[in-house]
Amino acid sequence: MKGDDIMKFHQLEKKYNLYGWMFVLPAVMVVFILFIYPVSVSILYSFTNKSILKKDFDFVGIKNYIFIFQSKEYWTTFLRSISWTFLSIIGQLTIGFIAALGLNKIVKSKGLYRTLLIIPWAFPSITIAFSWKWILNGVYGVVNNTLQSMGLINEPIGFLSDPRYVIWTLLFIYTWFGSPLFMVNILAALQTIPKDQYEAAKIDGASAWQSFRNITIRYIRNIIGLLVVLKTVWIFNNFDFIYLLTGGGPASKSTMLPIFIYDMAWNTKKVGVASASALTLLVFLMILVSLYFKLLDRWEGTDDR
Amino acid sequence: MKKINKLPVSSLLCYGYLAILVCIAAFPLFWIFISSIKQPGEIISSISFIPQNPGLHYYIKIFTEMNFQQNLMNSLVTAVGTTAIALLVASHASYGIVRYFNNGRKGRVMTRMLITTYMFPSILLAIPYSVLIGKIGLQNSRLGLILTYLSFSIPFAVWMLIGFFRTVPMEIEESAMVDGASPLKTFYLIALPIVAPGVAATGIYTFINAWNEVLFALILTNSTSKMTAPVYMSSLIGAEILDWGVMMASSMVFVLPSLFFFMLIQKKIAGGLTQGAIK
Repeated sequence: MKGDDIMKFHQLEKKYNLYGWMFVLPAVMVVFILFIYPVSVSILYSFTNKSILKKDFDFVGIKNYIFIFQSKEYWTTFLRSISWTFLSIIGQLTIGFIAALGLNKIVKSKGLYRTLLIIPWAFPSITIAFSWKWILNGVYGVVNNTLQSMGLINEPIGFLSDPRYVIWTLLFIYTWFGSPLFMVNILAALQTIPKDQYEAAKIDGASAWQSFRNITIRYIRNIIGLLVVLKTVWIFNNFDFIYLLTGGGPASKSTMLPIFIYDMAWNTKKVGVASASALTLLVFLMILVSLYFKLLDRWEGTDDR
Repeated sequence: MKKINKLPVSSLLCYGYLAILVCIAAFPLFWIFISSIKQPGEIISSISFIPQNPGLHYYIKIFTEMNFQQNLMNSLVTAVGTTAIALLVASHASYGIVRYFNNGRKGRVMTRMLITTYMFPSILLAIPYSVLIGKIGLQNSRLGLILTYLSFSIPFAVWMLIGFFRTVPMEIEESAMVDGASPLKTFYLIALPIVAPGVAATGIYTFINAWNEVLFALILTNSTSKMTAPVYMSSLIGAEILDWGVMMASSMVFVLPSLFFFMLIQKKIAGGLTQGAIK
């Protein structure tokens, strides 16, 4: 009798699993066709002298990898990508956080403020590029003309064309675009904090800073952590934002890894080298993200206790 | 007395800096619009916030001389096609993961795989895609674009939908199953209608992402009439003399759908982005 029940249970479980696969299978197939196959092709290319123009190619061993690891341009670009991602996240998180705290505090016309502050997030990258190129234009731009008519500057500033300013201008525009995502998510997290926590802390004699650190930060740090992980990957991989605004220039001062790889494949026509560079980018991100997730897991562990 | 005074001051401060942020956030949209309705001479000679003689000539130009509607149509068909396929595949997959593999090892493997596909640099995929799409003869076609767009839209949609399906209480489905409903029937008739608002939000977000995409469209199309709107617009930067009025009018037309849909789902997005990852 008991044995029969166990048999029946196993059969049910098998059937149960089968239904699960039925739901998941199409997605698994898509992942296989759109990821595993192309990446295998990329790995293959990275060991060849493949060019976009030619059909035939020869194997060259690890020559492409040696080439990029010895290339000063590659390392400069890599380091620039890292600091660009880091600074972008700092900027977006700070402004998004400040905006969320403000929105959480005000009562009147909160919805209106929120809606208006979200606008940049809805901007397609081509519209970001066109609007800011136009606003910051050296001859007709509203910023340069205003500054000049106020007598603050004599010569127009090349916000996007001067190698000294280009990164800072891009950083400003990217903060403008990326802060709303942080703001909206942090605001949603702030609203889940029970109000009585703050009251209890007040009765215990906690200062405003103490309750901010021990209650506010504690409640929202998981959300912030996750957003930072997502954003790190997005910013590191992002191609079109900088490509459309500066194309990586002037003098390669704003060339990040994706643009470097794009130029390598479509301008220099060295697909092998481009594939090798792109694979190093993926490996780097995978290591980075697994470290991040270890940290997040530790945070979650301390919350349970 | 003190308490009554203290509250408004700090709120006032919030209103103050929020107002500054709103001005910066909204200015580009305002400026695109103002510039797009100025006269050709005025747009490059005056930075006045009020156009002297506003008109729609730049809009007329992009839709008559430049055939911009063709590129918009390419964008629309591609984005709608991508959204439809992505929703179909992703809603099944996310439901399957949540209901059938939630606690097991297989579920963990699948979520890990999802996160991994998330990290894939689109520039890494762009290289083999350009070769493969060329091989099967789908360059300059909407279908080719849709196929490649699935690579970012399906993982993203699964991610968001997992968060929404987690909110469906299991008991409702169990009682339907006990009544003899098949798993598929339970999914279509019970679980899916409950998360319909979430599916709609995910669909709209997928649409916006496909609508805005640049890289794949850039490498897979080269004939003007087959380009999506952003790729066509980006080709305007290469012109010898930039027509800023045309660039502003096309920007305005292109940003509006994105803006409209974004405002529609702004409340849903906040949860959707992060819930998928919370165990």
